[in-house]
Amino acid sequence: MAADEHVSMIPAASKVGWSAEVNGRGFGDEIESGAILLDVLRDQVGTLGVKRGCDMGTCGCCTVIIDGVARLSCLTLAGEAEGCEITTVEGLATGHHLAPIQEMFSECGGSQCGFCTPGFLLTSAALLAKNDSPSDSEVKSAIDGNLCRCTGYQQIVESIQAAAEILRSDAKSKDGTAAQMDPHPGLGAGDAGE
Amino acid sequence: MGDEQMKGYRQQPGKLPFKKPGSGGGKPFSELRDLDFIPESLDGRLAQPHGENRHDYLLTGSSIGRRTPMIDDRWKVTGQAKYGDDIRLSGELIGRILRSPHHYAKIRAIDTSVAEALPGVEYVLCGQGHKTLFGVLPVTKDEHALAVEKVRHVGDLVAAVAAVDEATALEALRLIKVDYEVLEPVHDMRKAIDDSEHPIHDRGKYHIGESNVQKRVFQEFGNISAMKDSLATSAAKWKFAGVNHGFTEPHAVVAHWDPSGRLTLYTPQQVPHYLHRALADVLDVPMHQINVYRTFVGGGFGGKSDPFPHEMCAAIMARETGKPVRITFDREEVFWTNRGRHPSLLEMVLHADQQGRISGIETDALIDGGAFASFGHVTTYYNGVLHTAPYEIGAFHYTGARVWTNKPASGAMRGHGAVNSRCAVESGIDDLCDRLQVDPITFRLANLLPPHSTTITGFRVTSIGMRECLERVRDASGWVEKFRKMPLGRGIGIGCGFFISGSGLPIHWDPNKFPHATVHLKVDMDGGVVVHTGAAEIGQGSDTVVAQSVAEVLGLPIEMIRIKSRETDTSPVDLGSYSSRVTFMNANAAISAAMVIRADLLAAAAEITAADEKMLVIGDRRIYVKRDPAVGVSYLEALHKALEDRGALVSSGSYRTPPMGKSHKGAAAGLAPAYSFSAYVAEVEVDMETGQSKVIEVWAAHDCGRALNPLAVEGQIIGSCHMGLGQVLSEEMVYGRTGHLRNANLLEYKIPTVHEMPKVTPIIVESNDPEGPFGAKEAGEGPLLPILPAVVNAIYDASGIRVNELPVTPDRLFRSIEKKIKAEEVDNALQLPNPNLQYSDLQNVVEARALDHGKRDDERQLDVEREPYHNGALFGLDPAIAPEEQTTDWVISLTPDEDYLADPRLAGSAWKHTERRHMGGEN
Amino acid sequence: MRTPPFNLHLPTTVSEAVQISAELRAEGRETDWIAGGTDLLPNYKWHLNTKSDVISLARIEGITSVSMTEIGAMARLSEIADGGEAHPLIAAAARKVASSLIRNSATLGGNICLDTRCFWFNQGEDWRSSIDWCLKCDCGTGADCRVIVNQNELCVATYQADLAPNLMVLGAAIHLAGPEGERSLPICEFFKLDGMTRNVLREGEMVVKVTLPDEVGQWQGEYQKLRLRESWDFPEAGVAAAWRLGGDGTLAELKVATTALESIPRLHDQEVAPIIAAGWSGEESITALAKAIQQTVKPVNNTAFPPNYRKKMTRVMCERALAQLSIN
Repeated sequence: MAADEHVSMIPAASKVGWSAEVNGRGFGDEIESGAILLDVLRDQVGTLGVKRGCDMGTCGCCTVIIDGVARLSCLTLAGEAEGCEITTVEGLATGHHLAPIQEMFSECGGSQCGFCTPGFLLTSAALLAKNDSPSDSEVKSAIDGNLCRCTGYQQIVESIQAAAEILRSDAKSKDGTAAQMDPHPGLGAGDAGE
Repeated sequence: MGDEQMKGYRQQPGKLPFKKPGSGGGKPFSELRDLDFIPESLDGRLAQPHGENRHDYLLTGSSIGRRTPMIDDRWKVTGQAKYGDDIRLSGELIGRILRSPHHYAKIRAIDTSVAEALPGVEYVLCGQGHKTLFGVLPVTKDEHALAVEKVRHVGDLVAAVAAVDEATALEALRLIKVDYEVLEPVHDMRKAIDDSEHPIHDRGKYHIGESNVQKRVFQEFGNISAMKDSLATSAAKWKFAGVNHGFTEPHAVVAHWDPSGRLTLYTPQQVPHYLHRALADVLDVPMHQINVYRTFVGGGFGGKSDPFPHEMCAAIMARETGKPVRITFDREEVFWTNRGRHPSLLEMVLHADQQGRISGIETDALIDGGAFASFGHVTTYYNGVLHTAPYEIGAFHYTGARVWTNKPASGAMRGHGAVNSRCAVESGIDDLCDRLQVDPITFRLANLLPPHSTTITGFRVTSIGMRECLERVRDASGWVEKFRKMPLGRGIGIGCGFFISGSGLPIHWDPNKFPHATVHLKVDMDGGVVVHTGAAEIGQGSDTVVAQSVAEVLGLPIEMIRIKSRETDTSPVDLGSYSSRVTFMNANAAISAAMVIRADLLAAAAEITAADEKMLVIGDRRIYVKRDPAVGVSYLEALHKALEDRGALVSSGSYRTPPMGKSHKGAAAGLAPAYSFSAYVAEVEVDMETGQSKVIEVWAAHDCGRALNPLAVEGQIIGSCHMGLGQVLSEEMVYGRTGHLRNANLLEYKIPTVHEMPKVTPIIVESNDPEGPFGAKEAGEGPLLPILPAVVNAIYDASGIRVNELPVTPDRLFRSIEKKIKAEEVDNALQLPNPNLQYSDLQNVVEARALDHGKRDDERQLDVEREPYHNGALFGLDPAIAPEEQTTDWVISLTPDEDYLADPRLAGSAWKHTERRHMGGEN
Repeated sequence: MRTPPFNLHLPTTVSEAVQISAELRAEGRETDWIAGGTDLLPNYKWHLNTKSDVISLARIEGITSVSMTEIGAMARLSEIADGGEAHPLIAAAARKVASSLIRNSATLGGNICLDTRCFWFNQGEDWRSSIDWCLKCDCGTGADCRVIVNQNELCVATYQADLAPNLMVLGAAIHLAGPEGERSLPICEFFKLDGMTRNVLREGEMVVKVTLPDEVGQWQGEYQKLRLRESWDFPEAGVAAAWRLGGDGTLAELKVATTALESIPRLHDQEVAPIIAAGWSGEESITALAKAIQQTVKPVNNTAFPPNYRKKMTRVMCERALAQLSIN
């Protein structure tokens, strides 16, 4: 489309109703018909943990889990995800109890600047939900759609394997509560919380 | 726990439960000092192979040296960390930037009337009203909020819009009509040396001819005339593509003026202080009316260390509209903002003499600065001076020039200015050794500067762990069994690195007595410590290392330390996260501040217990007599006593660099209070039929002085390998035949994926720096340097191809393989000969010297009364006296003579111009 | 990046989809199909040939099957790659597409219909304005082709999808549905040598499924993909080969196809036939065939690697794809 015959960016006034189960809670709002899921999650649902890195499917920072499958929210139409169960990074922890994958990314150096971390956590969570004993090469294949510029991936793979180990030992213990983490560790209270 | 045990000061350590207030994190019991983390010299069990450190007595065993997760990780793993675009203020407007479609053009007129009339548009900003120049370096301010008269590259900022939403802002951009007069652009950095009808910038009387040369450097040190009398010479012409930081978070900024007329600017910045200064200039308001709020930074690597035009635009439009303005970049805009590593043309000539010494290094570096100066003034020096160590050399000749071209600006990127020339020099040494038929690791070991020495350009080097790095990667990698012994297509290579640990001078030296880093501490009544620092946490762990330092000195669990580092309103001035300065300078400042509190606590404890203060040590939340741990008080008791006696416990600590270096022009460039060293071995596989290279494994030894947090140091080493691998094998800002940046997206700008990443074995070497915090030096940038030469040297070992163009993409290597097939007259690549090694007589010479120097260095490291050692001693001069003071053969020269100008190298030809002020006439 | 606004439609059957498309076009509006979205949405964000209405195939039932002989248009590549039901050659090729996250969204139909690519085309609107637009997208401007200048007729954008050559060598048929009913054709006849037209889909017509011959299980194959990185990257050249061995273990039939070298994927029966006719001699035949195929492909300079390199690598990949047939 050339400059003089371009398609207007101003959307039509009419919007459509949209609802989904985001992190276990129903959410409903009016959205633009062709809205991209990433935009809806960030600007309307308010789950700002879903990151926009490249917006073109080549960094994985915007990964969310839709009905059990890790998906790029930047390349998913919100309309197609209507009525689905969507998990963002905000939905991984149970109350104050971090999921093992979150705990281990911190423990093993899987997160440096942290911008890619939500995407990695969700891709890993989707992997571990299906396979709690992945080989290193299975882990690498699973995360090959996520880009990290800080860690060189090695400590990420270690984090995922450490989380897998916790999940396996959880599965063995009968009540499954063995590895619950300290809910109030008080680690590093600082500006981060502001 | 009975109340009896709580009374008096004879208490069993380890049995004291903490009650509120003052519980101190998750650990309910106080403990004795962990002697594994207390030095042997103080009766602990921590070995000190490199001697004692001035901070040893401050060690309490609580945090330093332990693998410590980042203290802000919980925000990151829960999605609560707020990065630039996550700052959402009510009533915000969305800002977008109109960018130049031309490489180079004059702006004749801008018509914004149609855009302004679009419903929802609140403000349209053009450059004319904001002509104040800014830039990160005070000597080369050449940027505007928006283009004023000219646009200088495709993507340069022309106008900005603030509107109620993104769609409206984007639509408005298309309604702005700009009348351009297109000028002839310069894309080729070689042509930029020449005079031009329209130089990209005009520096007035300091302009170099009528050219696009922004900065030129000429330096000669040492015995220049002797260097060419060599046994072997290696000469190569290199071409390095520009690379981008590739951080995952695009630039984003939110500006908000509060009702009192103060600006808060939320931005992911590495240098909030320099931005603070620039904002004050451009907005024409005093600095105290501006609060720069550093959000979480989604990767920096040098790419967020300039004050940026879009930050100015947001601030101006927020002021004009009275509403918060948020601007977030698309990835394309990130590439157009760039500030990445300079595309470079380098000529590297190395000489070795009869005794296997490096008798000379001649370097010529032409670097492509793109459209703006950014850090380029410094980069031009760094391309030369940062490869004058770790080797003792006979002579150093450097010509460097940085030119403006009509591309997005180059700037500082991890390993600033040192990466490309380091790759060339380490590859050149490999080539020299090949010509001399000696082992390249032995050769390096025989030519190292000793600890506590002075380099040829006058850098004061303190601790050096280079030798240990080399020895440990040699042993870990199985070097002796593999080097020159593997089949065609498989190879191993070595590369070394040397990098500054903080810059000796601040960028703003007005006035020059300011400390580089300052840290304030405030201790709460319940024992929690609030640390105010301006150091920019960018994911490298600067908050964590400061918290660790304070926790260590005060004997506290790290949970009791809270870091406030986000806002210039509340933080003391810190220069920012660049030049690998944070750990060295900021942790030193934090230690100084904590020492003040420590003294207060010890005095209070001595008073309560009546024990001699000198006998007291600090353990985990307990101060007690070293020989009788039962005599002591809890941290909280000592604190309360001190509070009663002295009032609030607050303190301040700062760090400033010692006087250093020679006095010639440019002597400050590359000066640092300490330097890091590293040596990597890489093993690669080269597919000889396709030219594809794959790095299989890397052994990476880095001397960081002391690993305050080994987890973070290893993370930096592995991450550096990843970034360096990208530059050496796949990453490249591709400018096509028309000069357009062809790959401004993360699909075509090829950052290595998890599959390209080899197994990296990080090896931490701790040389114990005398001035570093607890002996530490940098680990954030230096570890990137060696991976490039290690890989290109391994490619040579595998294929016999001496690479001299980066990145070594398969098509480039394949072209070289094809040439070699022709030259060797073989049928196909699989028949090519392998490089081999038959030791020459020189091998014995260098082996003996390496052994000898090993002993020399060990002794020197531990000798506190050591004499000075100047580069040049290896060539027979008195080590105690600077060479230029002993003999006229050793020179320092900073301007080319006529002989040189008669036949200059590429960058050296920048000296053909005269500065305008020296041309005569009205200037 | 923001797409221009469009209306999304979510039909649940093929006939409904075709009907919606027809109705919209009757109103003078333009439509696109969206399957996985991993190709269309990046292009939309770049403002490349966007339409007012987009019809999603995500809710349509019955077109997601994966078996040895049939794959639905909306079967996700992750399912084809890892589900264990598809032909091993198709599964292996699917595994090599982009990244795991892309494969979770991307579909068979979308991969086959992948838009052709070119570094003058796959750029943002601002970027394209800086080259004064491009023939493939910005037709109204009278823009020339930037790859081969001074000819604004043929678009030479490159077809860079992985599955098509593999489907070709296994003899797949593609099944389409449109306003004029359903039709099927061999997949080799699906593509059209023009970077803009790309294929034979008529207005309002969509891909429903691909079928493979019943005896496809007797065929083995190999797919070689040239790329810089093992994730994300489109093929810079791709060679698919499939063969059937006779009862005596000798080569009975051989098919070779290439992708990412021209505006369409191409089956190389013409090059294979004379080599087979001369009698298969293992390594020598492979060398000759690889050379012949290298000579026939005509890459242009619009992808990451230079065309002469891609052409030369076609031979190497061809040899490697056929390596299993070297002793015969």
